[in-house]
Amino acid sequence: MPDPDVDVVVVGAGPAGAAAATVLARAGHSVILLERGPFAGSKNMYGGVVYPRILDQLHPQWWEDAPVQRWITRRSTMVLTDDQALTVDFRSERWGRPPFNGATAYRPDWDHWLAAKAQADGATLVCSTTATGLLREGGQVVGVTTDRPDGDLRAHVVIACDGVNSFLAKEAGMYGEVDAANYTVGVKETIALPKDVIDARFGVRGREGQDIEILGGTGGVNGGAFVYTNLDTLAVGCVLKLPKLSAQALRPEEIIDGLKRHPAIRPLVEDGEVKEYSAHVIPEAGLSMMPQMTGDGMLVAGDAAAMCLAAGIWLEGVNFAMASGMYAGEAAVEALAAGDASAAGLAGYERRLRDTFVLRDHRKLRRAPELVLSDRVQHLYPEMIANTVERMFRVDNPAPKPGLRRIFSDERRRAGVTLRDLARDALDGLRSFG
Amino acid sequence: MSTSAEAAHEHWPPQSFEDLIGTTRFDVHERAHITVDDTVCRGCPSRECIVACPAKLFVPTSDGGILFNYEQCFECGTCYLVCNREGAITWSYPEGGHGVVFKRS
Amino acid sequence: MKLTVCWKWVTVDGGEPDDRWAGVSPADEAALETALTVAAADDEVVVVSAGPPGAVAALRRALAAGATRAVRIDTDGAASRDVATAVAAIAAGSDYVLCGDYSLDRGTGSVPAFLAADLGAAQALGLVSVDVTRRPVRVVRRLDGGRREVLDVPAPAVLSVEGSVARLRRASLAASLASNSAPVDVVGGPPRSEQVAVVTAYRPRARSLPAPAGGTLTRVRDILDIGGEPVHSESVTLDPPAAARRIVDQLRDWGHLPA
Repeated sequence: MPDPDVDVVVVGAGPAGAAAATVLARAGHSVILLERGPFAGSKNMYGGVVYPRILDQLHPQWWEDAPVQRWITRRSTMVLTDDQALTVDFRSERWGRPPFNGATAYRPDWDHWLAAKAQADGATLVCSTTATGLLREGGQVVGVTTDRPDGDLRAHVVIACDGVNSFLAKEAGMYGEVDAANYTVGVKETIALPKDVIDARFGVRGREGQDIEILGGTGGVNGGAFVYTNLDTLAVGCVLKLPKLSAQALRPEEIIDGLKRHPAIRPLVEDGEVKEYSAHVIPEAGLSMMPQMTGDGMLVAGDAAAMCLAAGIWLEGVNFAMASGMYAGEAAVEALAAGDASAAGLAGYERRLRDTFVLRDHRKLRRAPELVLSDRVQHLYPEMIANTVERMFRVDNPAPKPGLRRIFSDERRRAGVTLRDLARDALDGLRSFG
Repeated sequence: MSTSAEAAHEHWPPQSFEDLIGTTRFDVHERAHITVDDTVCRGCPSRECIVACPAKLFVPTSDGGILFNYEQCFECGTCYLVCNREGAITWSYPEGGHGVVFKRS
Repeated sequence: MKLTVCWKWVTVDGGEPDDRWAGVSPADEAALETALTVAAADDEVVVVSAGPPGAVAALRRALAAGATRAVRIDTDGAASRDVATAVAAIAAGSDYVLCGDYSLDRGTGSVPAFLAADLGAAQALGLVSVDVTRRPVRVVRRLDGGRREVLDVPAPAVLSVEGSVARLRRASLAASLASNSAPVDVVGGPPRSEQVAVVTAYRPRARSLPAPAGGTLTRVRDILDIGGEPVHSESVTLDPPAAARRIVDQLRDWGHLPA
């Protein structure tokens, strides 16, 4: 086997790739971080909220220079029907000061910042370069091919952080059959409004921000919606389940348009100017769709390994990407020290994933994605809940107030939800979230 | 009541898709990174790609085929995931440095 | 032989001077490709850009593609007259200076003209093709009305090429890796000019109009907004100063300039 060009090639300079490259560079290994866009983050899009506490280990005091738009101090969950809205709203001043909790950030800023940190630690970032395939010898992955002239790059270990479509993991045979049911597409508009207008509409000040997660508001397509505050823009969008998307004959941008016109959303977003329209596919199904993560000479991390946690009340991805990248980097360091880049030598990766929140959360919440995107949760429960609350607060004089149990029972029947289904979903929910 | 609602609607005309996608930057490469085997599409009953593609790159033709563009592509992968006909859509990434460039995503 | 390529590094939408939101035009890239094609193995291809430190990223891409030396003139927002003087000092002795016919900000194109004057070189603009196999190089210029002009341009000359002339070659992986730490020379530049005005074209939003009524001709006129008095053209032959005065007078007549 010829000498490799570099110890490790990390494909994809997103949060997973940058974290992996940082760990390896700090351990003194030569590492090349390949990015197909003109800069790290240029191809990346998400809803808009990142939970960066995992960086406490990698970059202590990360909040001092992180390119954050706003710190989430107000977290709301909204249920929308055509003409009703029920919001559960929580706010905490504690989330607005170190060590913080969630933050809104633009990915072209966030990923660029993280990759620059990897570079500062000694990783070599090469942009505008697409990895087109794997170099293999026997069963062992020994590098990647790129779309540059003389573009083969040999390495002891390849870490594929090449995103949700991961052509590398698929080429390596680490994915089973790809099923559209495991994916959603996220689309959003970034809408500019003056900072003081955003502050007033969302009841926040300074760098405080609000995160609104929405059940309903997706035009009958299974999925969810969101409104997040950036400094002087809003992220307004939705996440749509792929297989049922065309059933309503509504296009993604029409669904966002409908959301923006909803009486509960319109006052928040109107008069804004759209600055960018973006879309990205999300690996939604969590544990059930995860590929084989370790091969001979190869690890898979981030969205490429379906790390997104789409569990309804918890919607996380960048933190899982950063963590999995970090652990992939650590495992590669171990393997290089032992001179064994086989799957056995790289086994530290999956051990770390199993022992930490990465796979613990995913295992605990393995039923959640399906439950949240199920037809009952999507189409029956929002009406049932909103109508129950509406009747609860409606003063129907001269009719006397009905009891809550009575209202709920009426509305459950009216929505066509059987007690048995409700009990089953409640149990599923408890198992997942409890 | 209905007139005031209509008046309010007047103030917020629907946005054209061209204006919307015009907000996003694309550094287009001369070579298409998507190809569609139109003969396969002719037998496709669902044509999910037409509705699902967030960039509206797939357009039905009057003779039952599919016309596609690749220039303003988000490179998301929705099209090949929803495509139920094996091999109708061939999709790879554009040459490095080209394609969509997000700024506020 | 020495070849100098001038790149204008421009921030795309008025944002921060950050290479993510900045770059050079396809015409500037075509200028480099033309120079690389002209250059023999031992020729020097110098790429120069007058801009802030962010421009280094673009200059490194030029080095990766094959330029032998990159120079950044440290300045931001200097007048083009001053930029040309600074570039001329670096381009001195070049056989050919290659520029893009337009920059990303669609500037005035004055730097190549000043540069040609400073260098005492010939200038050819709007080149749609450059035949590098000939000496002197044979170029085709775009003229108004779809006409073309074929010129043999002896060195020294400043040539401005359109983006369609050539597509910049893709740097090899090794060259891209090496360019990450490639040195870019920095020379002091002229100060920021207070006279530089940034003017962006007004792009009207699409608007809805009621459907036009009347016959076909009326509707076409309404849509094209040519319902008013027809404007008659005239041809005059004048020497350049008189022609300039005539144009200004006419513009004033039409109300485009203050009386």
